[in-house]
Amino acid sequence: MADVFDLLEAELLDERHWIAIQELCELVQLDLATIVELAEQGVVAPRGVRPAEWFLPAAAMPRLRLASRLMHDLGVNVSGAVLAVELLESRRALEQQLRLLEDLLGERRD
Amino acid sequence: MPAAIEMQYRDYYQMLGVERSATAEDIKKAYRRLARKYHPDVSKEANAEERFKEVQEAYEVLKDPEKRAAYDQLGANWKSGEQFRPPPDWASGFEFRGRGAPGGAHAQQQFDEADFSEFFSSLFGGGTPFGEAGAARGGVRTARDHHARIEIDLEEAFRGGTRMLELKRPELRPDGHVELKAHTIRVAIPAGVTDGQQVRLAGQGEPSPRGGSPGDLYLEVKIRPHRLYQLDGRDVTVTLPVTPWEAALGATVSVPTLGGAVEMRIPAGAQSGRKLRLRGRGLPGAAAGDQYVLLRVALPPADTPQARALYEQMQRELPFDPRAGLGG
Repeated sequence: MADVFDLLEAELLDERHWIAIQELCELVQLDLATIVELAEQGVVAPRGVRPAEWFLPAAAMPRLRLASRLMHDLGVNVSGAVLAVELLESRRALEQQLRLLEDLLGERRD
Repeated sequence: MPAAIEMQYRDYYQMLGVERSATAEDIKKAYRRLARKYHPDVSKEANAEERFKEVQEAYEVLKDPEKRAAYDQLGANWKSGEQFRPPPDWASGFEFRGRGAPGGAHAQQQFDEADFSEFFSSLFGGGTPFGEAGAARGGVRTARDHHARIEIDLEEAFRGGTRMLELKRPELRPDGHVELKAHTIRVAIPAGVTDGQQVRLAGQGEPSPRGGSPGDLYLEVKIRPHRLYQLDGRDVTVTLPVTPWEAALGATVSVPTLGGAVEMRIPAGAQSGRKLRLRGRGLPGAAAGDQYVLLRVALPPADTPQARALYEQMQRELPFDPRAGLGG
């Protein structure tokens, strides 16, 4: 007999969700001071006056997790991670434009 | 550790490309070089993720003097891939310093043990004297959230869908050791999820070590590239080939969208590269995305006498010079 699995509902964390800074620190494995520094460099836009009371959009999690992975795995500092995040996003946007241009020319190979 | 477990030996020195006599500094340099080369967020190598996990696993052992010394004790004559069984007196005779916070601010273990090999888990994972769970047994620790990535198709992102996920999860055995157990769950992916977004499965993270609430499972969604559509947030773009007369005279044509084909009016005088918008036809959400239609004028081939005659007629009768602005 085939296994029966209950269906688990996944909750979408979209732009309507804001996460308290303490929970976010754990989720993205960064400390408060690092997130403050990332916010100062424009990587995320928090709500709230004092950092300990900040809320951040769930949509910021992919950027923060990327910055966190780059810092932990490659040993880059905050400024290096910010630069890498921006360059990776810019590379991705250029790759998309390239694919569109290839489509337009009827030359896409993938 | 049960004596029956057999697994393949992993040569961590070979994985990092260093000699067994390498200094801590050599090992760090080799790791940094390979991590940069294979990091899945940066690398374009085909097997980057797999190689990166190997490099991370090797570094996790070789960077730590205690783990490295214990690993070296296994001897130098093993070869990668050979059948291996952990020695019964594994790790005896080592003094373990506190598993406190060697990294300062980033005290939490940064790797996910479930990504590492059985070889690593048996020798250095939870339940061994080197592992976090073994060291934390005496203290109070809350259940951790788990993170994983899933890949879905754009159609699933548009409509929502269900996926079976097999997760490897560390579980505490009655004898106090931790083993990785495969665990299958069926997940409803909500409609409107976009690339890079997170979804949360409440209570599907680490079981609580003390009978409290379990952690949550966070899935980072990656949407596979699509044959027709390019995705940007919730907006999608499709390139639509049109005939020269449709572009010149205007026409109503059928356009594919994620929700099914719709009719769209192409204005007279449209050129290749003209972008038209179908409002709200992208991914659904709090603010639904739009679909952009990029026109590509496709020329019919002049491969019959009749087609050639039509081109020749245009050549004679249409005063058209696309190079007029070049000043040649």
